[in-house]
Amino acid sequence: MATPHNTSAGSFDALYRESARDLYAYVRTLLGDDAAAEDVTALAFERAYRRRATFDARRGSQRGWLFGIARNAALDELRRRRRTAPLVGDLPDERAPAPEEEADLAVRRTTVRAALAALSPRDRELVALKFHGGLTNAELAAVLGTSQSNAGTRLHRAVAKLREACNAPA
Amino acid sequence: MRPREPLTPEQERDLEAIDHTLAGEPVELELRELEELVRDIRATAPAMTPAFAARLEQEVSDGFPTPREPPVRVRVRGRRWLLLPALGSLAAVLVALVVVLADGGDDTNTPMGRAAPSEQAAPAAGGAERDEAPAPGRDEAADQAARAMTPAPATSTAARAPRAPSAGVTQTPRKVQRSASIALQTPEDEFDRTTDAVNTTVARFGGIVASSQIGASDERGGEATFDLRIPTDRLDRALAALAKLGHVTERSQGLDDITGSFSSARARLTDARAERRGLLRALGRATTEAQIDSLKAQLRSVAGRIRGLEGALESLRRRADLATVSLTVHGTGDGPQAGGGGQWTPGDAAGDAVRVLEVLAGVLLIGLAILVPAALLGALIALGLRFGRRRRREAALDPA
Repeated sequence: MATPHNTSAGSFDALYRESARDLYAYVRTLLGDDAAAEDVTALAFERAYRRRATFDARRGSQRGWLFGIARNAALDELRRRRRTAPLVGDLPDERAPAPEEEADLAVRRTTVRAALAALSPRDRELVALKFHGGLTNAELAAVLGTSQSNAGTRLHRAVAKLREACNAPA
Repeated sequence: MRPREPLTPEQERDLEAIDHTLAGEPVELELRELEELVRDIRATAPAMTPAFAARLEQEVSDGFPTPREPPVRVRVRGRRWLLLPALGSLAAVLVALVVVLADGGDDTNTPMGRAAPSEQAAPAAGGAERDEAPAPGRDEAADQAARAMTPAPATSTAARAPRAPSAGVTQTPRKVQRSASIALQTPEDEFDRTTDAVNTTVARFGGIVASSQIGASDERGGEATFDLRIPTDRLDRALAALAKLGHVTERSQGLDDITGSFSSARARLTDARAERRGLLRALGRATTEAQIDSLKAQLRSVAGRIRGLEGALESLRRRADLATVSLTVHGTGDGPQAGGGGQWTPGDAAGDAVRVLEVLAGVLLIGLAILVPAALLGALIALGLRFGRRRRREAALDPA
């Protein structure tokens, strides 16, 4: 368990188990590339592991701290590549719908993917942090370095754009 | 700064619904469409491949044995942060040392609060130095006179050098006679050494001991008086050096303008010489024995006056060139100002403690004066760097 001010080896393991999938999903959405997402995810966990003694619980949650590290690594990777990554890759949908819902779900999710791809990179990142990373609004604000209300407003706008895109006639 | 935008009730409701959906909780009926969207977005989340998941799991359980980036980089960054306060502290210590050493110097017997004018504080220009702290008993007139003296080089040669006459009037260089009185207190066991040091110090500044009287040093201490002559242009530095020989208990300086006397004597000498020349010419023209005798008698008289006036003039020059210093040294066996001599009493201990606290407070103050601006500057630079780094990073999210 984490001490009040830093992350012990045991709590790091718990943090890893709780966040690995979400973190990868966020990084993969941001970078749009499997290999780069794997490298950045592993690098983020390694950095977090080596700096775990510097974590200060008074400045936010462990999860927010970890996503902040991952975000920096992912943005550095994006800068290195000097290109904006496409949002959605061609990963299979692991949550297979029930047979009677399959067709409807497939259509809806294709629409959602297309709407996500049409978002600006900043909005896409917000959506990825919230829905793929599963961050709370407070964690979102901490990762983005902004206020909670500002993060909420930006998220709401991004979701509104998504809703609009999803409801638009094909 | 980003403007603060308070959430509208609709935004708050939607965000709450999103959080409920992500937590697997039900939402209001009219927000079902949003709930579905959230689930769909969540469902589009990319998943790790089993191979990568296994590899990462292994790395985590092994504690990342092969670093992807050199750990030195992180440590160096951390140390850079530490450099600012470290440099500030070093600078503070250096400044404090300079201040303490400059103040104390070899003046081990002079308390900080009563520091006598130090030689280091005196300006380098010869004769232009002035005491930092006005000496007791020095009045305003003396101060003005001293200031009037300052611009002119105070060397004897320069003082005697005639200035350019203005409007046909020959100006006499200003002549002042300076005098000083200083009383020192020294521990009884330091008394002999101090009186010897007086002679050495006076010689060092080209002065002479006109007279001295040194009383016997016994358990009650001793007393020595010196009548000194110090070249006027070195007086201030000599006084500062003498003050370092003991604890200064009394000090005064005086200044006497003798320009009038000097001008008068010189004018009378000029007149007398002119009179002699006239008498000599008259003697050359004299025809009778009586005239010759009378003129010779007058010439003897004039010659005597001239000698007297030349002597007076020379005496005035000496008074201007050599300052008179009256120095008294008291050796004390048990006085409170005895410094290192005698027994170390609780009073001495208290005095030393206060002195230590004074020095510590001074060092602390100087340290703060350096550290606070350095820390503020460092914080500003750090904030700027952090802000710039964040902006550069986030620029990667802008369309190319």
